Amino acid sequence: MKQYFLKRFLELIPVFFLISFIIFMLINLMPGDPLLQMRMDNPRAVMNDPQRIQALREYYHLDDPLIVRYFIWLKSALTGDFGYSSMYKVPVWDLIANRLPNTLILTIGAWILGLIIALPIGIYSAVKKYSFFDYSTTVMAFIGISLPSFWFALVSIILFSVTLKWLPVSGMETYGITGSWNIFWDRLKHLILPVCVLGLVQVASWVRYIRTSLLEVLDQDYVRTAYAKGVPDKKVIFKHALKNAMIPIVTIIALDIPYFFGGALIIESIFSWPGMGRLMYQAVIGSDYNLAISCLMFLTVITLISNLAADLIYVLIDPRIRVGKKA
Amino acid sequence: MFYKNKVKEIEEKASPINILTYRKLVWMKFKSHKLALIGSIILVALIIFCFFGPLFTTKSYEDMDFSAIFSPPSISSGHLLGTDELGHDVLIRIMYGGRISLIVGFLSALLTTVIGTIVGLLSGFYGGIVDRFLMRFVDIMLSIPMFPILLILTMVFGSGLMNIVMVLTVFGWMSISRLVRGLTLSLKESEYVISAKAVGVKNMEIILKHIFPNVLPIVIVSATLNVSYAILSESSLSYLGLGIQPPMPSWGNMLQKSMNYILGTVSGTTPWWLTFFPGLFIFLAVLNVNFLGDGLRDALDPKFTSNS
Repeated sequence: MKQYFLKRFLELIPVFFLISFIIFMLINLMPGDPLLQMRMDNPRAVMNDPQRIQALREYYHLDDPLIVRYFIWLKSALTGDFGYSSMYKVPVWDLIANRLPNTLILTIGAWILGLIIALPIGIYSAVKKYSFFDYSTTVMAFIGISLPSFWFALVSIILFSVTLKWLPVSGMETYGITGSWNIFWDRLKHLILPVCVLGLVQVASWVRYIRTSLLEVLDQDYVRTAYAKGVPDKKVIFKHALKNAMIPIVTIIALDIPYFFGGALIIESIFSWPGMGRLMYQAVIGSDYNLAISCLMFLTVITLISNLAADLIYVLIDPRIRVGKKA
Repeated sequence: MFYKNKVKEIEEKASPINILTYRKLVWMKFKSHKLALIGSIILVALIIFCFFGPLFTTKSYEDMDFSAIFSPPSISSGHLLGTDELGHDVLIRIMYGGRISLIVGFLSALLTTVIGTIVGLLSGFYGGIVDRFLMRFVDIMLSIPMFPILLILTMVFGSGLMNIVMVLTVFGWMSISRLVRGLTLSLKESEYVISAKAVGVKNMEIILKHIFPNVLPIVIVSATLNVSYAILSESSLSYLGLGIQPPMPSWGNMLQKSMNYILGTVSGTTPWWLTFFPGLFIFLAVLNVNFLGDGLRDALDPKFTSNS
């Protein structure tokens, strides 16, 4: 088992370097000039002196071939130096460390909300196969899968924030609020809409997975045996069937983790939520090369880790899979 | 899906006296899938609406009606779905925007399907180093965060219609290729392929004549799902301002413009129709493509299974 984990982990390393190379190349293809922002912020004559610009270009290796620049970037990135953000004028790592908690609050909230809603609905519609409830969840799931998340977000802003004025339109906090209880309540109100939108969009496909997976297990002999022995329905479903049905579900849910970070890009932009997704969007739009590369690499690492985690969980919780031994 | 009894009935009809061809069977099953039938009717209606609708009006998507700026949907003013900040008629813009969205959706789904199928067939059939190389490449492509890369690529290549189709194609063919590869691997071991090999049929011919027709049903189903994925991606990109550029309308960029007035216009009211209708059409297009895909999945599956 240990060997399998180690092997899978080592396999990730070349993939990681390849992806970092692709991302570095793509980002450097983006239109714009890394020095432009610097010159715009510093419109004094000194900065526009051709000699000085040339010196800066050399200092930042801007005239070196891309491949050389990749290795320079890689070397400093591996030592923990991700460079400065040209937009925010602070080290990229500080920015990410600052924004990451906000994204985590949003995504974990959405994740939990999604699970709380999807699990019971999925289980119930599998148990009551072909019932009216099952039929309506299937239609609802189709609607959920087809709903453009940004439209859903905009319509709920118009409905709940602009028309009904129940919830704040955007942002993470209202300035000038005092008292810890008030601050907590204020934060919570800002969280409700983005968490609901992000979570509900995911519910639809999870419900489908849970339903299909449970149906498959309910069809198996050991479940029929349990019923035949006279085990109560509830016990069969929750103790016998659900345990095995959860195996593929857990993997699917682990594989969806990067989606939450990616999907958060649009949702965070709409709600002006100061998280990673919005940071990445701003970095790409504003041609902030260092920031964009770091954000993308961060997301890649999360993707790779959650793929690996999904595989490992699968191996760990499914007793039918034996790693290392030939079947 | 919910027509087990119907399937039984069809199976009974398919007795030796009453021979049904595969094609007839597929059509019968498809017909009994009500959601798919309704979905395809609405989809055809949408296509007709977008491509032929503008022929029935003399106005273009750029015509402005300054006497009716931000007018809410009403029949009497002649603007059924209202107007935007420049007096553009929302209905007409939705028709033109729909052309773009549907073209992007169908074209990039077609291209991703073609590429994915070819890669999958080759990888599955030849195996060995070809397979290992191609599937490793697919793994890598799948680990790249898709949406941010789409953003970057539209910035690099510009945001015309063809560029969007190209970007969505380059990053959209992987899942189909995996699916086709898996199927090809198992089909390769089937008796008829082995016997074809034994009598000396050329590899290319085996792939095209014996394997391809058998992966086609799955390919068609994934292609429909790719249409909905492409429509959603295009509208998301346009929504972020990186897709189709104004003055050319697309459903996504109409939504983006509406965002400016979400808190209300000068007069204080929120023009909700600017947000609601373009999104509704994206939703309708994607929903009905998905219904169609589900119906096709049930109908094309030769094994009569329908538990999803």
